[in-house]
Amino acid sequence: MTAETIQNTIKTFRFSFPTCTNEDLLFKLEVPVEIPHAGSTRELVQRLINMFHIPVYLEDELNEKLAEFVYEETKKFHNERDETLLNKLKNGELNVEGTVKKWEKQFKENIVEYAEQKGSSEEEVFAAAYHKLVHSPALETILQVENSYATTVIDTLKNRDEDIKKLTERQTEEMEEKVRLLNISSTEEDINELATRHFEEQSFAAGRWGSQLDALKQAQRARHRAWLMDTLGQYHEWDQALHTPENSPLATFCPSPLAARSAAVPRPALEESFTIHLGSQLKQTHNVRIVAMDMMQLCTVDHNNPLDASRRLQTALSLYSSELSACVVVSAGGPSQGGGTPLAALQVATAAADHHFPALDAQLRDIEERLKEPVEQRNISVGRGKPGVAAGDVFITRHSNLPDVHLVFHLVGDDAALRAGDITSRHPAMLGLRNVLKAAACNDVSSISIPLLLRHELSEETTAAWCLRRAELVLKCVKGFVIECGSAGGGACLATIHFVAPPNTAPDLFAALANLLPTIFRTSNPVKAKTKPA
Amino acid sequence: MGVDEDGYIFAACTFFAKNHPGEMCGSNGLPLTPSSVTILGQAQRLLHLEHPNLCTYLDVIRCKHERIIVVSEVIGKSLNDFKSKFSFDQIMNIGLQVANGLNFLHKQDIMHRTLSDDNILIDNYGYVKLFNYGMHYMTKGGNEIPFPLGLPRYLSPEIILGGGGPSADVWSFGIILLELCIGKLWQNLRPGPILRRILTLVHAGNTAERIAREHDHYDAYKQVPETLRNIIEKCLKIYPSGRATFSELVHDLSALDSKQMVEVKRPQGLLGCKLQVLYHLWQLAGGDIQSELKKNCLIKNSPPILSMPIAILLDGSTIGGKTGALFDRRIAMYSLKLLKQRLSHISPHDFYPLMHERKKEYDAVTLPKIIRERDTEYQFYRLLWFNRLLHGYPHTASYIRAEAEIDIPPLVRGDVWAALLGISGDIEDQYERIDKETPTPTDRQIDVDIPRCHQYCWLLSGERGHRMLKRLLKAWLLTNPQYVYWQGLDSLTAPFLYLNFCNEARAFACMQAFVPKFLHKFFLKDNSSVIKEYLAKFWQMTAFHEPELATHLHEIHFVPELFAIPWFLTMFSHVFPLHKIVHLWDALLVEGPSLPLFMGVGILRQLRDTLLSSGFNECILLFSDLPEIDIGECVKESIIMCRSSPRSISYRRFTKETISKDPMDLIEVPMDVLFSEICPRISLSDFFSLMCQEKCCVIDIRSNLLFDKSCIDGSINVPYSGVHLAQRELRALGLRPQRAIADAVRLNKNVVIASAEHETAQLFSDYLVKCCVPRVCILHGGIQALHANVPSLFTVPPPRNNGNK
Repeated sequence: MTAETIQNTIKTFRFSFPTCTNEDLLFKLEVPVEIPHAGSTRELVQRLINMFHIPVYLEDELNEKLAEFVYEETKKFHNERDETLLNKLKNGELNVEGTVKKWEKQFKENIVEYAEQKGSSEEEVFAAAYHKLVHSPALETILQVENSYATTVIDTLKNRDEDIKKLTERQTEEMEEKVRLLNISSTEEDINELATRHFEEQSFAAGRWGSQLDALKQAQRARHRAWLMDTLGQYHEWDQALHTPENSPLATFCPSPLAARSAAVPRPALEESFTIHLGSQLKQTHNVRIVAMDMMQLCTVDHNNPLDASRRLQTALSLYSSELSACVVVSAGGPSQGGGTPLAALQVATAAADHHFPALDAQLRDIEERLKEPVEQRNISVGRGKPGVAAGDVFITRHSNLPDVHLVFHLVGDDAALRAGDITSRHPAMLGLRNVLKAAACNDVSSISIPLLLRHELSEETTAAWCLRRAELVLKCVKGFVIECGSAGGGACLATIHFVAPPNTAPDLFAALANLLPTIFRTSNPVKAKTKPA
Repeated sequence: MGVDEDGYIFAACTFFAKNHPGEMCGSNGLPLTPSSVTILGQAQRLLHLEHPNLCTYLDVIRCKHERIIVVSEVIGKSLNDFKSKFSFDQIMNIGLQVANGLNFLHKQDIMHRTLSDDNILIDNYGYVKLFNYGMHYMTKGGNEIPFPLGLPRYLSPEIILGGGGPSADVWSFGIILLELCIGKLWQNLRPGPILRRILTLVHAGNTAERIAREHDHYDAYKQVPETLRNIIEKCLKIYPSGRATFSELVHDLSALDSKQMVEVKRPQGLLGCKLQVLYHLWQLAGGDIQSELKKNCLIKNSPPILSMPIAILLDGSTIGGKTGALFDRRIAMYSLKLLKQRLSHISPHDFYPLMHERKKEYDAVTLPKIIRERDTEYQFYRLLWFNRLLHGYPHTASYIRAEAEIDIPPLVRGDVWAALLGISGDIEDQYERIDKETPTPTDRQIDVDIPRCHQYCWLLSGERGHRMLKRLLKAWLLTNPQYVYWQGLDSLTAPFLYLNFCNEARAFACMQAFVPKFLHKFFLKDNSSVIKEYLAKFWQMTAFHEPELATHLHEIHFVPELFAIPWFLTMFSHVFPLHKIVHLWDALLVEGPSLPLFMGVGILRQLRDTLLSSGFNECILLFSDLPEIDIGECVKESIIMCRSSPRSISYRRFTKETISKDPMDLIEVPMDVLFSEICPRISLSDFFSLMCQEKCCVIDIRSNLLFDKSCIDGSINVPYSGVHLAQRELRALGLRPQRAIADAVRLNKNVVIASAEHETAQLFSDYLVKCCVPRVCILHGGIQALHANVPSLFTVPPPRNNGNK
């Protein structure tokens, strides 16, 4: 608050001492000294003595004089500045109201005693409640409830799709019929009229389903939250002895035939993992894993599959902990531009109601809204012609209903170079990746999945050599970023890093990629049992 | 000072440092230091302030998410907690003590800025201490924190306007005195109105009177003794230039103060220990600062997912996301209950160990150092003992060395190191005389290296750490003009700075003493011969203790020049993190300059299996990023190796030790001879003492004719002419020599080669190393020299039946 206004000044220290032959003739010493003086005056005296060959018998005197000089000048410096301020105040030259308001704001926004809102926000209370409950015997019930909610939504979605499909079929038939009878019993006008009616019907149906879905999700969310808070109350009453909550909404569902489905989930066949050490002197341990799969596999869940339920369990347990999981997806454009394949896939994946955060659409809309101004300002300041987000920008969505991740970092980047050409470590996408890792480390993300090639699928232009080149660049950059994050934050952040190669990576290419890892990272030595000579 | 028997003795408060917005870089192009790191570095100086009217700072902790926790001594209760009014005599006495504390702070160039009724503490006997007076100092005037400093009603007008020097504290002090006399001011007002009222005071003639009138306490104010009123009015002058200074106030108040302070006896036993020691032991006993803060809701962990930003732009600026929690001025208090319970069985006698008393043996001594350092009781005894010894330094230097051989308590490591290096005298004065500011040509390189030196250590990564490291390096270079700045010197200085963060002069003195002892001539502009000799000796030690490994590395041409230069140039400080270096150097400082050679061997020994199965390229890769090394093990082994090796085999010419001219000790050989030798040479006197202790097996490789005439008593004759160097099996030497060598290996004896001419001895010793025989060395000067100097060792062998078997 105050130091911004402090401007240092230079004052001249004058000292004189007699010449050796004539007592009246004086050597004069003038030294500019910065006020307030940051260093030690005694050290300055030593430098003066050395530089100007001042006789040592003057040392004590010089020490005393200089200290006094600095003390007096500093005092004068402060007093003069304050006097000017106070005089201005007396003469009414200062904006008193503005200053007071500024202080008031500072106190109100930063110090508990003066803050308006005390205690935790509703969000935090719910977070604490949920976190407590998922770490209690109620966990299983909660997951089942959430699962059945999700199933309901998915079923409704299915019904909608069917309904709309039927409608479309009927309309197509009708239209064909009409077209066939063109100029016989119907006119062009009739057809136009019919088309209009069809369109209205379609939008009406879509609207009806939409509102029905919204209502369903809203109701689910409200009911779920109320039930959770309620259960927490009981949990406190019974203390630790809670087994299964009695009033669970499960009663209204028929138990889903969980075990009926086959348990075999196609897990990625191509994967390899390493434990690595990073850092030159102080080593930090991380796990790195390379895997060939679709990034969206982390986000899709089959609600009828018991194995997937266990995947959900992981994220539910750690949702409000400080061990978050995240993934990075390369997005074609900003939050509103549809974003290309990953975003569309994410839309599908997040179809079920999110009981903790706003729905994906709402989040994206909110981000779009709030991004507009800062992005525009930025674009103006760097002189960028195109409006909207640029490559390297990142937006972040939060999810509670995905199986493997809590956070999705959408890294904007879709240019020809990124897709197929060669990029350097100074490419915006790499800088964006650095920001992602930094944000992840600062916000307690302990596990993050990164697209190894910064693209999600292979195509003809991506040769094996290109893939290796790109992978090497990404790995090396990530290594640097992680070291940087580790030294800034401290502690074992980003404990696990997954590098995700496109799902259609050929086995031999994958093997080559996996071989890159131990050459770039130092893998840790296995612990060997000591064999003592007999 | 009065300490309540069961009362709280320290307290903690916590706050968040400022977050740097976006991606900003400092002037050196590197990312900005986080504010919390700056605060941590800045606060270190506060930890060393001691004054009877100040609560001692005990610790500053940096946690995740830029959180800072400050731990400090605490006594009695605060002025705010006293409900009854004080008499005017009491007020003057309190005022005097507060002024004393503040006077001391101002002398140290520290402004308080946050003086308020809740950080002035009074104990049962009326002693006053200021609590948490360093917020302004540690946060660099509030620049590193997001919240404003101080309480509104104690802010002086000029601070509100954005100015304020030390005399702002005088104003706050005046307000405190006034409050003590007429009651709390501006109660129930919000900050805005209070500040406005303070600002309108500038138009008043007599500020104190005006305030009293405002509160309808004018009559009460008039009843205050005139002397005290004068003092209050001197403090509450609108213009800072008109206000009294604290030295004047101390003078005035001591003239008025009539209160006789109660003499409080120094507490005995545990509470008689230094607070820093108590805090350290309390932590070892399981005391947890954070848990109490959490209990009092001072640390609230908001789930991180709720505070995620919504976007990050390319330039690194984040959008959305919540910032840290609000600043809560409350504190959490801690008592010593835990520690008292832990140490309850210790007799009062043990608190005062006598120096010449036979010491108790502790069973913990056998445990690894890392565990001992965490053992409350063990550390308790060690600290008491070390503090006593350090008190007597330099007269107790030999005792300290003997104790340091066992281990060094981390809390006093800085002091013990200084003692081991023989630091004494007025080091501050000497350090002051060195010019650390004037730019020199090496500054550029130093500036480049410092931001890369042990930056995981928050103390060293802060601005203060950088500045001090630079000053130390410059000072050292200036005092040692014969030396130049070699990269690595920064790493070498780092441990000293780390242990003496608030005592730059001592860090410098340690450095100044350390280099000639361990790294004599290493920093010469042309240091190639020094380093070459060191590496050659290291290689010989490797052959001596690890013959198999040495043979393998020789064969793949993996020479120490490729990896070991930074090890020795920085005494391993460039290779290991600080917490390992301190253990390494603990041993180094006690054992002396030959230990590093064996430490190098110790490291190789840990990597032995990997190295034996690696070729040249793998070895290069392995050492380019050294794997984890168990330092405890390495130190232990290297000490064993060092002590069991004859002194003369690790002899180097480039040391500061005086060289004996006695032909018995003489061992120097020309450098090129040294470089060609795989096995070290042993001096005659070392050989003699080994013979006396029967710790060596002598192999005489002269012809049997010469051997039969006269030989060393107990030696074995293996005529060189009969040895097939290509056959790498001991069996080829014949049964008797084979058995003798096997026995020697089994009993850990040294194998000494004695011959008439040196070339054969060298070739034969190489041969033995290749046969994986450890502890092989060559008798310097051979048989002739030994015969000339110690003829008594010679005898005539009994005649053999059939010559050699």
